Amino acid sequence: MEDAQRRRTWLALTGPYALFLLFLLLVPFANVAVYSLHPYSPTKVFLPELTFANYLKIFDVYYLRLFGRTLRLGLITMAVCIVLGYPLAYFLARSRPRMQALCLFLLIMPLMVSAVIRVFGWIVILGRKGLVNQALLVFGLDPVRLLYNETAVVIGLVNVFIPFMVLPIMASIERIPPSLEEAAQNLGANWAQMFRRTILPLSVPGLLSGCLLVYSLSISAFVTPALLGNSRDRMVGQQVYDEVLVSFNWPSASSLALTLIALTGVLMFCALLATRRASRREAAS
Amino acid sequence: MSARRPRPLVPLVVATYVGLLAPLVVVIAVSFGPSAAFEFPPRGLTLHWFEAFFESQALVTSFFRVSLVVGVLAAVLATLLGTGAALGLVRFRFFGREALEAFFLAPLLVPEILLGAALYLFYARLAIPASVWTLLGGHLVICTPYVIRTVTAGLVGLDPRLEEAAMSLGATRVQAFFKVTLPLLRSSLLSGAIFAFIISFSDINLALFISGPQSTSLPVQIFSQIQWQGDPTIAAASSLQIVIIGVLILVVQRIFRLRLVT
Repeated sequence: MEDAQRRRTWLALTGPYALFLLFLLLVPFANVAVYSLHPYSPTKVFLPELTFANYLKIFDVYYLRLFGRTLRLGLITMAVCIVLGYPLAYFLARSRPRMQALCLFLLIMPLMVSAVIRVFGWIVILGRKGLVNQALLVFGLDPVRLLYNETAVVIGLVNVFIPFMVLPIMASIERIPPSLEEAAQNLGANWAQMFRRTILPLSVPGLLSGCLLVYSLSISAFVTPALLGNSRDRMVGQQVYDEVLVSFNWPSASSLALTLIALTGVLMFCALLATRRASRREAAS
Repeated sequence: MSARRPRPLVPLVVATYVGLLAPLVVVIAVSFGPSAAFEFPPRGLTLHWFEAFFESQALVTSFFRVSLVVGVLAAVLATLLGTGAALGLVRFRFFGREALEAFFLAPLLVPEILLGAALYLFYARLAIPASVWTLLGGHLVICTPYVIRTVTAGLVGLDPRLEEAAMSLGATRVQAFFKVTLPLLRSSLLSGAIFAFIISFSDINLALFISGPQSTSLPVQIFSQIQWQGDPTIAAASSLQIVIIGVLILVVQRIFRLRLVT
């Protein structure tokens, strides 16, 4: 009796959200999978035949380049985020509570503002009458075109996603007791040696999850490349957007979407394995 | 004395913060500047673009009738759904608990632009026209996991014996929950709701696909006006969003520190 009642309570608590996800997450993606296996027709939404053509098409030069560019920009973004984000994460992890609260606010606040607004800010900074060109003008130099190229896209992506690198690294450094650093230094290690032998290996799990987050977010970015990049060198997100809303080639958009999800999934899996191995090595030593 | 920290770190950190905050500062500055061409630094101070914002039918509708309304509804409903889900996950032992938790947090792992596309195609298949409600449905998918995370964290830190004590003093299970557990969860609930509001309020990736012409959300409105070379009116709208979100994050930080003390 008691058991049955508990089960009913449990169902009433978890059921609504489970049903919700079923209908607005699983079924929509199942629908996408169905679309991706059907041929495209400009006149009909749906043709009653099955085909793998939408997936085979991804091996065309255009789509290979598209994916290549997307994955490359993701890697560059990730690398810049590591270089800028790691020192910031270390600084945050080791600063006093008051300082840390202030710095965290300044990190999370921009993260929460809509990406479109942050990208808008970069358009103003890099634009024809923007900060950089005004500065050049002061020195008597001609204005340069800084927008609508890959550099601008990478600047935008780094700016939008760097908090996702900093926060996990910070969390893993916070777990390393500062006494460990002091011990290493008291035993004669200089700062660089100490860092290389203690902090860096112990923060690998945080670093990995940061990289994973930044990479998977960058390769599925839309707003940043759409506003800061040029319209010829696009990323996968833009292609999906155009095929869904502009050219209405839904089967093709669906196969692109699922390929991108599969790529992200494989990356997640690799990172998970790597983290497991790192923590096992840590436990063994 | 704490650890010997290398000095070069501070300038690097400051430089990173300058880069991080520059776009927000610039947008706010442009919204107060007289030039119509996104000029920075501005040559004067004016409230002209804020006036223009309140006179722009499209922007006012997007801001107050769509983004704000959907944000508040998403916060309330996500808090209800998410609190239920978190209670079900933490307070009950059952087979497949971890799998269910992974499923409940899965929306965090799905690239938003693809979720937007998938929802668009799904709504199209069912011939549901885009409206405030289709947008709200999508936003609930991405907002609820945040509530689940904060409420789960709050519940795990809560001693279940408090509820048992209340019941041994004669309260029913329901009374014990509403009189003891819920008040103690207040701060987690509030920060979960605030996060849900912010996620909905600043979302663009879903809204690009599932907010219709009559229900364009503010970020989408800003996005299309940037593409059509708009004027600093959108900077004024952006500044308002930045201020709202800044204040809310401050509130969350306050709550979290309060919870650490008590």
